[in-house]
Amino acid sequence: MLNKLALSGIRHRMRDYTVLFSGLIIASAIFYMFLSLAINKTFLSSNSPAAATAFIFGFGIILLAIITIVYINYANSFLLSMRQKEYGMFMMLGAKSSKISRMIFVETFAIGTISTLIGLAIGIIATKYVSQMVISALDMQVKHFDSFYLPALIWTFVFFILLFIFSAIRNSITLRRTKVLTLLHKDSQPAKIKRNGALKVIQAIIGIVFLAIGYYVMWYMGKNALFIYLGVPIALVTIVIGTYFTINAAITAVISMLKRNERFAQKGLNNFTLSQLSFRISDYTKILSMVSIMFALALGAITVGLGFQNQIDTVVNGQNYYDVAVHNADTAQKSRINHLSGDDQFNYSYKADDKGKVLYYRQSEFKKQPFHYEAFNMKSMIATTKKSSNIADPNVSYSMLQNMMPKYRMSQVKMVSDAEFDKIQAKTDTLTLVKTTSFKDNLSKIKAISKEESKRYPELKQAGGDKYSAYTLINGFFSGLEFMGFFLGIAFLAMLASCLMFKILSGANGDVKRYNMLHKIGTRQKMLRSTINKEIAVLFAVPAGLGIIHVLLGLQMFKGILYKPYTHIEIPFGIFIVLYLCYYFLTRYLYKKIVLK
Amino acid sequence: MQKIVEVKNVEKIYGKADEKQFKALSDVNFEVQPGEFVGIMGASGSGKTTLLNILSTLDTPTSGSVKIAGQDITKLKTNEMADFRANKIGFIFQDFNLLENLTAYENIALPLALQNVSPKKIKPAVTAITEKLGLTEILNHYPTELSGGQKQRVAAARALVHEPSIVFGDEPTGALDSKSARALMDTMTKINQEDNVSILLVTHDPFSASYCDRILFIKDGEIGQELKKEDSSRGEFYQEILDSLGTFVE
Ligand SMILES: Nc1ncnc2c1ncn2[C@@H]1O[C@H](COP(=O)(O)OP(=O)(O)OP(=O)(O)O)[C@@H](O)[C@H]1O
Ligand SMILES: [Mg+2]
Repeated sequence: MLNKLALSGIRHRMRDYTVLFSGLIIASAIFYMFLSLAINKTFLSSNSPAAATAFIFGFGIILLAIITIVYINYANSFLLSMRQKEYGMFMMLGAKSSKISRMIFVETFAIGTISTLIGLAIGIIATKYVSQMVISALDMQVKHFDSFYLPALIWTFVFFILLFIFSAIRNSITLRRTKVLTLLHKDSQPAKIKRNGALKVIQAIIGIVFLAIGYYVMWYMGKNALFIYLGVPIALVTIVIGTYFTINAAITAVISMLKRNERFAQKGLNNFTLSQLSFRISDYTKILSMVSIMFALALGAITVGLGFQNQIDTVVNGQNYYDVAVHNADTAQKSRINHLSGDDQFNYSYKADDKGKVLYYRQSEFKKQPFHYEAFNMKSMIATTKKSSNIADPNVSYSMLQNMMPKYRMSQVKMVSDAEFDKIQAKTDTLTLVKTTSFKDNLSKIKAISKEESKRYPELKQAGGDKYSAYTLINGFFSGLEFMGFFLGIAFLAMLASCLMFKILSGANGDVKRYNMLHKIGTRQKMLRSTINKEIAVLFAVPAGLGIIHVLLGLQMFKGILYKPYTHIEIPFGIFIVLYLCYYFLTRYLYKKIVLK
Repeated sequence: MQKIVEVKNVEKIYGKADEKQFKALSDVNFEVQPGEFVGIMGASGSGKTTLLNILSTLDTPTSGSVKIAGQDITKLKTNEMADFRANKIGFIFQDFNLLENLTAYENIALPLALQNVSPKKIKPAVTAITEKLGLTEILNHYPTELSGGQKQRVAAARALVHEPSIVFGDEPTGALDSKSARALMDTMTKINQEDNVSILLVTHDPFSASYCDRILFIKDGEIGQELKKEDSSRGEFYQEILDSLGTFVE
């Protein structure tokens, strides 16, 4: 009988259960996605040469596991907030508490297992598509990555089942311990706010001071790379503490300031919204601080990952001045070259002696078209473009030989007059070098030319030397790093935003009565909706805002490693904001579904 | 003089056409004059809450017309209904329905803020009503820090602060002990007499009902009997109510 009642209770709250299920499914899917990458040793070692990668990912797994634990905790309290009234009612009607606690155990565990299984299936599919999307969007080369990876599957399953067993035990103990009356009236007991102004002021000051120290340390690390062993822990600790106090005190201070401003507070439902927030903030401080810190880490991971991507251009352009090198161009190659944008062509003819030890070039051609090359300064790590008409200069000839056939790469270079050149008994070969307006914009065309060259001269295949092969090499190297950064970041963000969502949604059941009352005394639906939007917007914006500040200042740390850490910063920020906004809209939609008629 | 409430041939049927239907109100007719204090009594399930919900635009009748302060409220759109409730109606509920995260003062000020009354005018209006109801001491308390009687008086103040055309109460004394109930009814009478506010309340309790000028008895969705206080004292009226309940309820 009781089981039947409980099941009918579930049917009545299908909407809430849908929210819960989809949240849990997302969580296990993300966890699988991350593990499929993080514990795949072949993938890691073949995509990143650095030993640090395995360490970074190990660290990532720990962080994600912690977030997942917190997340399941919130999802679980959402479940409990939904069910406790009903179970309280059963208990009041005389159901034994042992029976009730067994029921909640079974319910929690069943929900957990089902959603984990579905989540794993979705995780495999999502991993496939997300990785394809990321790879093609960023023109990356990723090796040994498979969306189905058994160890990841097993570990995710084990981890989640353990978590759910734990939650189920916790729920049944909670229900057994709590008094029936408390269960029945849980919604109507708001957390009491402490009105201690002086303490809040001190907290606000401490918070801001700690943040300032943390930011300063990060800036300092960017200048003194050796400081990082001490600097990273200091920055982490100060920023965590600073964030916590800032959210707890500074935000409360702003709210009470706004409340005191009558012209603002006494307008429409503003006062109500402010009060909702000030009641919530103290309850939310922990999760908001956590979200903002993790948010910063995730966003930082993506930004730095993309920073490496931006690095590719710089490095590739430093390898070779010319974008294309073609030997003895035939008509097909010539027409391809003519289709490049801004085809600045350089044609050099040369002859080799019979052993191929010496290469002869026409001096007149270099007079007309000086040869360009990249001079790399080891100190500043910056390459500068130079030009010269003296091909015999070792610096210049070195760069020239890069473009030649592999068999000539060790040859000696000589520059001769036209008359002397004509006298040499050998076949005349030509080398066509092209500088386009942008290597990146012409990438696909350049790729076609380079492929064709390898077909015409198979010995070029392994030799490299032209810009395109340098690009493939470097891109492969950085892509692994970047791909990892992306995955890490997106997995984190999705988890965090879901955490916040559940925290907010578990408050929704308690809000039903309040909004119903406002409706009764004549508040328009539109106004109710806009208060909900505002309230949830603030709860989402606070951690996002702090997180973005953390990242912007935190990037100072990478000034030494990355060439320009702030270039194209709008891309990771854009991706993040779009994803985050999706969560915001989802949360407020679900919240309204629960709260409003 | 214009009538405050005018109910004509109101019928309410719950359940859609293809479902099991239930007629909660059938052919209800009555009027309330300005400044009148009217009570509605009846057994549980007789349709009192249904009637009150219709009068207060929270629900619509299946047929018939309801005019409040001259306006036909059955023809209003959703937003107009909300505005109508905000401007013309005051509510007192059995379970207080105060917002726990606002202080007493803020709760009382809420209807004015909803109407976008300027903050300068809010304060005097709240002060006036709270002085009348003896709430000045507890204005900065949160509802959890108040007794049931105090909460209900705060709710009454919130129902009155925007000077509505009529105040509706659904068993406002239902959750109060007899002393608090008496205090609340005294206050309501005072407001009714001094400020000429019309009041319509649903109650089970003959004692609370004895404060009314007139009582409508409702049975199975129909108004069966009407009792007027006229010149009798409250004690005599109380006795009359008990007598009618005795004969009416069977
Ligand atoms: N939403 C609804 N759907 C179907 N029937 C309803 C609905 N609301 C009320 N009823 C029925 O209408 C009748 C009148 O209900 P109402 O709530 O008006 O009674 P009441 O006089 O207020 O009773 P009480 O004194 O117990 O509060 C009851 O029989 C009830 O079952
Ligand atoms: Mg009722």
